[in-house]
Amino acid sequence: MAAGRPTRPGVTDPHTLVGAYVMDAVSDDDRVSFEHHLAGCESCQAEVRGLREATARLAAAAEVRPRAELREQTMQAAGLIRQLPPVTRERPEAPAGWRRAWLPRLAVAAAAVFAVLAVGMGTVMHGAEHRLDQARGSSHAMAVVLGSPDATMLTAKLTSGGRATIVMSHRYGSLVFTASGLPALPSARSYQLWVMRPGGPRSAGLLPAGPDGRAGPMVVSGLARGDRVGLTVEPAGGSARPTSRAILMITLSA
Amino acid sequence: MPGLPGADLSALLGQVARGDEAAFRALYDRAAGQVLGTVRRILRDPAQSEEVMQEVLLEVWRTAARFDPEAGSAAAWIMTLAHRRAVDRVRSEHSAAQRELRAAVHTVDYDQVTDAVETNLDHERVRRCLTTLTDLQREAVTLAYYQGYTYSEVAELLGVAVGTVKTRMRDGLIRLRDCLGVE
Repeated sequence: MAAGRPTRPGVTDPHTLVGAYVMDAVSDDDRVSFEHHLAGCESCQAEVRGLREATARLAAAAEVRPRAELREQTMQAAGLIRQLPPVTRERPEAPAGWRRAWLPRLAVAAAAVFAVLAVGMGTVMHGAEHRLDQARGSSHAMAVVLGSPDATMLTAKLTSGGRATIVMSHRYGSLVFTASGLPALPSARSYQLWVMRPGGPRSAGLLPAGPDGRAGPMVVSGLARGDRVGLTVEPAGGSARPTSRAILMITLSA
Repeated sequence: MPGLPGADLSALLGQVARGDEAAFRALYDRAAGQVLGTVRRILRDPAQSEEVMQEVLLEVWRTAARFDPEAGSAAAWIMTLAHRRAVDRVRSEHSAAQRELRAAVHTVDYDQVTDAVETNLDHERVRRCLTTLTDLQREAVTLAYYQGYTYSEVAELLGVAVGTVKTRMRDGLIRLRDCLGVE
């Protein structure tokens, strides 16, 4: 640690944190201060490398067998995610891609719902080619929104229980809506999504809900800043105007 | 032999970085079980753990081109990502109440590295090496790594000074590293 930053009097030598650091057993402040220290200390970097190999072995010892279906789901989700290019000398790495860190989570949700839809369509909608085309079109639109550089994600609790996750791209005036933990509805009811503006609500369509409380992903287009998106429970088949109190209302201001 | 054979995995990552889906499948088969096992020890909730496991694998897919072999093995890169993701999830989403519950039911389970797929060499060797640590080192390491506690939480749980916990974590990992013969 000869090359490390000098330790200020009264401040603990940050190097004592190396063990806690490689095990993520530090606060965010600790991490920042340790990484400062690390940047200028080659022997510390070597120590971090070695200790990380040791923790990787702790991880190896914890191995369990994942459920088989997770594999295909993950492969499908990967198909929705654009890979980062390598870092080149001319173009130094941008500060870590934290803004996109949520992307995998959304892709998992999307792929899970796709899988449900695909099975449902394969059995019930056998031969209904246009529906499949529709699903493919929507998957393309979704990839566009998710891949847009201005995509932002927000999540919100539903008053009925469950949580909605929305990825919005103002550039494309579109969003991708998914929800999880939705209460199951009787067969005579459906979830319906709305775009609310001063001129009155417009139906964005019925929200396809899976058996496990997940719903979506659904792409909603033609949006503008200030629009609000609402979710209601309607008679199966949907309504022309909302007939119940919204269980979610979000203003698209950001 | 470590569960994630080094050279192979590193080569696979290179192929994954070029968008090779078959390579990603192979990498999944190699890494998913270890990612899931590690994540599950920290999160406990099986459904949430599966979700995080998938997120981690997809993050590997997304950022494979950023893997730098100079900075460590592919296995360490993936497992570091996994551990960090699980810890972030537990610290951001779990309410204070759940944290307390976790603390209340905590057990030092270094020798219960048991829900492993089968008794593999890693498991045996890690278990043996953990026994070469002092009690305090071992508890500090397992509470932090397998249960996702911060060093201050570990200090609280063990009733030991914070500074002591920090040094035990470091000394414990060094001893473990040397026993396992990793570089």
